[in-house]
Amino acid sequence: MDLEYQLIVPEFVLATLATLVVAGALIFRGRVRQEFWGYATAGALLILAILTAVFYWDTNDDFANVLAVDHFTVLFRVFFLGIAFFTVLAAIQFAGDRLKNHGEFYGLILFATLGMMLLGAARELLTAYLALELLSFSFYILVGFNKLNPFSNEGSLKYMLLGAFSSALMLYGISLIYGVTGSTTYSAIDPDGSGIRSIAGQLANFTGVGGDSSLPDPDAVRPGLLIGLILITAGLGFKVSAVPFHQWTPDAYQGAPLPITAFLSAGGKAAAFAFFLRLYSEAFLPVAAEWAWFVAILAAVTMITGNLMALQQTNLKRLMAYSSISQVGYLLVGIVALNAETIGQSQDAAAALVLHLIGYVATNIAVFTAIIAFYNRTGRDDIVDVRGLAERQPFLAFVLAAGLFSLAGMPLFAGFATKFIVFQVAFSNGFLWLGAIGVTASFVSLYYYLMVIKQMYLYEPEGTDRARFRVPRPMALAIALLVAGVFFLGLYPTPLFDVINESTAGLFQQAIETSASAVR
Amino acid sequence: MPALEHVLVVNAVLFAIGAMGVLTRRNAVLILLSVELMLNAVSLNMVAFAVYGHIDFGNITGIVFAFFIIVIAAAEVALALGIVVRTFRNRATANVDEVNLLKW
Repeated sequence: MDLEYQLIVPEFVLATLATLVVAGALIFRGRVRQEFWGYATAGALLILAILTAVFYWDTNDDFANVLAVDHFTVLFRVFFLGIAFFTVLAAIQFAGDRLKNHGEFYGLILFATLGMMLLGAARELLTAYLALELLSFSFYILVGFNKLNPFSNEGSLKYMLLGAFSSALMLYGISLIYGVTGSTTYSAIDPDGSGIRSIAGQLANFTGVGGDSSLPDPDAVRPGLLIGLILITAGLGFKVSAVPFHQWTPDAYQGAPLPITAFLSAGGKAAAFAFFLRLYSEAFLPVAAEWAWFVAILAAVTMITGNLMALQQTNLKRLMAYSSISQVGYLLVGIVALNAETIGQSQDAAAALVLHLIGYVATNIAVFTAIIAFYNRTGRDDIVDVRGLAERQPFLAFVLAAGLFSLAGMPLFAGFATKFIVFQVAFSNGFLWLGAIGVTASFVSLYYYLMVIKQMYLYEPEGTDRARFRVPRPMALAIALLVAGVFFLGLYPTPLFDVINESTAGLFQQAIETSASAVR
Repeated sequence: MPALEHVLVVNAVLFAIGAMGVLTRRNAVLILLSVELMLNAVSLNMVAFAVYGHIDFGNITGIVFAFFIIVIAAAEVALALGIVVRTFRNRATANVDEVNLLKW
């Protein structure tokens, strides 16, 4: 078999870069300023993101049937590299002040990014599992990176134990799917029909779309299929922190160093959803009716519980954790809406999901970068601590307010446009009740976001430290860029939406082909 | 040779014992042991499916998968024990009930 290594050059470069940063920081210990590694990593990530976008956008190929290199992959590659870039930029001052071993810190961020890129590209379950574990292992270490801090230890311990448990659940589901379908490849389109059988092809046969008499009786294997789907969804539910699998999230978020909290809430979620979307649209679409109902329940419970639990939080990091859980609920609505009558409607759902994901991630990183800038100065992260921030640092207060309004879904900001499209797709694909819960939950969410904004704008600063302070220039620039992006996405989402539409179309190629052959 | 159903039942029982262990044990190391039981059940399941059916079509994915699970499980334990030891040094306990600084 010819392996086209040129397709996965960005992954190779990233792996090399991660190794170089870890080794370099060790070799040049004490001879190079610690900040150098942060700026070097950020610069390399930016260059890699631009080069990847330029050179790979028109590729539509796959690497040995395990990694797809299509528009979807390239979009997510650039997206993950961008997330890592902004995280590193936000982390430099924080790491200099409060963390040791900078080489390992940035190296692990790069390894986690590598895991995300592979996870978004994987179209085979073993590859996806390995990428997921690379991502999770990096995060277990990063959450506990502040190793003398008991909060950091505790967050890491809980995250790691539940993460291992959820991986085992998902693996059992994968083994059942493998047993039923005889394949771990999502949808290898194999022209001469000799080599690899795919999950999508096999499932299409069970549901009677295709036609292959060598397969076992569909009724006999249905329990195995159903249990497999439930277990995989449960495992993925842990990874994206959907209720009731969310217990680790607030603890890991609060315990982790702040930049890692940002990275976890942006990159970790985005990667898990890239995997979720590719798996459920490429492989499991033929049996959408079998899984849609429990994903729908998951989405509804996540939206309700996430928002209600956020109401009583007093810590900013925990508030953001529950806020991210409720956002996962809205994203899951997009997954549920994949179960539509026509493939075109499923495509709309996938595009809406990715659009909301990008809007959520951009907003969340902006909010977290602002929180990090605040924390660098004050060392505090409770909601009451931001009291009077509008007096002390109007720019940060404005950014936090804009970001939180966007997360709540106020018009003018990204959150409104993207959430609107997600709910619209849910309505038009027949999930009225789910959309209604989502809209109601959004109203509730406004309350706890406004609590933070009220503290910043309506009260005078308190305590001994009331002076104004400056935000370092690179961070201010990053925040300004992200907020501009949030506004742009909110006012004019069309260009990005077109790009996303083009990217997600490739996921449904197999489904279109099987349904075409069934008509014949 | 036992039938596929028998092997699957054994694996399911093994998996359930592991899951029960994770949910009821309070010591972090014992929880990890229980997770290992679950992973072993998965490996056996993969191999069973491969050997009893799919291998006739030249499909050995399940066996390869089992190898990777073994490797990942080993890496996971190494990492997990590091985190448990770190917690133990700071808090002098490996009991997950007593590790409760972060709540709600």
